[in-house]
Amino acid sequence: MTDVVSLQGLTKSYGPARGVVDLDLTVRSGEVFGFLGPNGAGKTTTIRTMLDLIRPTSGRALIFGLDTRADGVAIRSRIGYLPGDLRLYEQLTPRELLSYFGALRHMPTLAEAGRLAARFDLELDRPVAALSRGNRQKVGLVQAFMHRPQLLVLDEPTSGLDPLVQQTFYELAREAVADGRTVFLSSHVLSEVQHVADRVALVRDGRLVLVDSVENLRARAFTRVEVTFAVPPPEDAFEGLPGVRVLTRRGDVVLFTLGGEVDPLLKALARHRVIALDSHEADLEDVFLSLYRSDDRHAA
Amino acid sequence: MIAMLHSVLLKSLRDVRRAFVWWSVGLAGLVALMVSVYPSVRDNTSLNKLVNDYPEALKGFVAFGGEIDYVSPAGYLGSELFSLMVPLLLLIAAIGAGARAIAGEEERGTLDLLLANPISRRRVALEKLAALVAEIVALGLVLFTALEIGSRAVALDVSTWHLAAATASAVLLALSYGALAFLIGAATGRRGKATGITAALAVAAYVLNGLAPLVGAIEPLQKASPFYYYAASDPLREGLAAGHVGVLIGIFVVVAVLVPLAFDRRDLAA
Repeated sequence: MTDVVSLQGLTKSYGPARGVVDLDLTVRSGEVFGFLGPNGAGKTTTIRTMLDLIRPTSGRALIFGLDTRADGVAIRSRIGYLPGDLRLYEQLTPRELLSYFGALRHMPTLAEAGRLAARFDLELDRPVAALSRGNRQKVGLVQAFMHRPQLLVLDEPTSGLDPLVQQTFYELAREAVADGRTVFLSSHVLSEVQHVADRVALVRDGRLVLVDSVENLRARAFTRVEVTFAVPPPEDAFEGLPGVRVLTRRGDVVLFTLGGEVDPLLKALARHRVIALDSHEADLEDVFLSLYRSDDRHAA
Repeated sequence: MIAMLHSVLLKSLRDVRRAFVWWSVGLAGLVALMVSVYPSVRDNTSLNKLVNDYPEALKGFVAFGGEIDYVSPAGYLGSELFSLMVPLLLLIAAIGAGARAIAGEEERGTLDLLLANPISRRRVALEKLAALVAEIVALGLVLFTALEIGSRAVALDVSTWHLAAATASAVLLALSYGALAFLIGAATGRRGKATGITAALAVAAYVLNGLAPLVGAIEPLQKASPFYYYAASDPLREGLAAGHVGVLIGIFVVVAVLVPLAFDRRDLAA
């Protein structure tokens, strides 16, 4: 079975600073793939290459096993695309815009577009020019999903959406994947994709820094436990516990990080009088920031 | 589904429908104004003397192909409409439409979304070019209809065939420049560049055609000006010359063939 997306040594150079360098990446059928990186890292450049809107300087991008340069039309008939910098036809209404793209895709009916619009609570008959940023983004999402494409390529899909609408989007992404389809989405913040993505790639300055499953990343993450004691414990009370590290202590409040099980810490705490205990879930954002930093050291 | 949004061609026509109405009103109004003045010009032979006394340098710009003969029906329409106003207006319409077609959509940022559909760039370019041709030909039909009705109303005696010939010549001239603006827009993605370069070339060609007969040094260059092929056959009196029509169509075809080549291979602006 071929990979849905296969980037092979993909390089796009513009000036000295922009573009992507020698990107190798595969996206498997039926997964949600998060494509992450700070703004300007090359995410949009990569995505626009996949749509054949720009052409690689070297290397190539295969989608469904087809080359983007040779088979653009065939590829795009099976892709739903949401641009990062979404611009719509201002003089059309959403209904007209969806009808236009539906015709270009030879869709017999717009029933699915209507269903999606209803789920997003999108009004179809007000001119685009009068729509808020969030509503425009909904139009963009509806046109990307409406033909039930095998691959969704979504550049910063949740930008401009309020949290409730973001949830609707995550549902749609999960439904698409449950349906055997594939979702490729970019973001500059991990928290936007960690709940929906199976795997993520991190790019920075046009280079691939890491590809891993969200599960593995999470395993690398430390849980934080904040404990409030009745009496400040002795300095050396928690030394030598496996996986446990004291991050900060302010009087009777101590912040621990856990690398593994919580049990050693619990056993140690049992010897003290504990007023309050607060545990935070692994924060992948911190993992990412630490990856950025370790990569910096590595590069230097 | 909405009928006028079934294809890139139809959508492009739909986009210009309001502007087209205003262009039509403007062209028809201009024709009505000029034609309605003709009865008071017809018997005023002193006007002929006035025009004949123009500096030679101006005469080339007042004539439309043949001799001026301002008070004759063909001479009057030639000087008042076809020597400047008609080609000027049709060129503005065509160059504007050509520059807007691809570069305008690219600058507004909607081209990414359009080309994410399963349609080739070549196809998008050709449908948009077809829309440009349809728009300018339709404006030509409006112009021709206004001329035909107007000239009958005031007994301005130019045959239907000759009115059609002059209009067709103007439409073909406008299409050459419209296609050029389209090509520059498709190649660069810059609407301002497409409009500016094409307009500058058109003005240069117009001046060249008007002055060439007077200035020995540039006289042989007159035939390099598309305006020569627009006017030289004296369409209002003599109709069209196949060779001249062929040159204008040839310019359009050559430019049109270059469009997909230029548009296909470049990166689109984000």
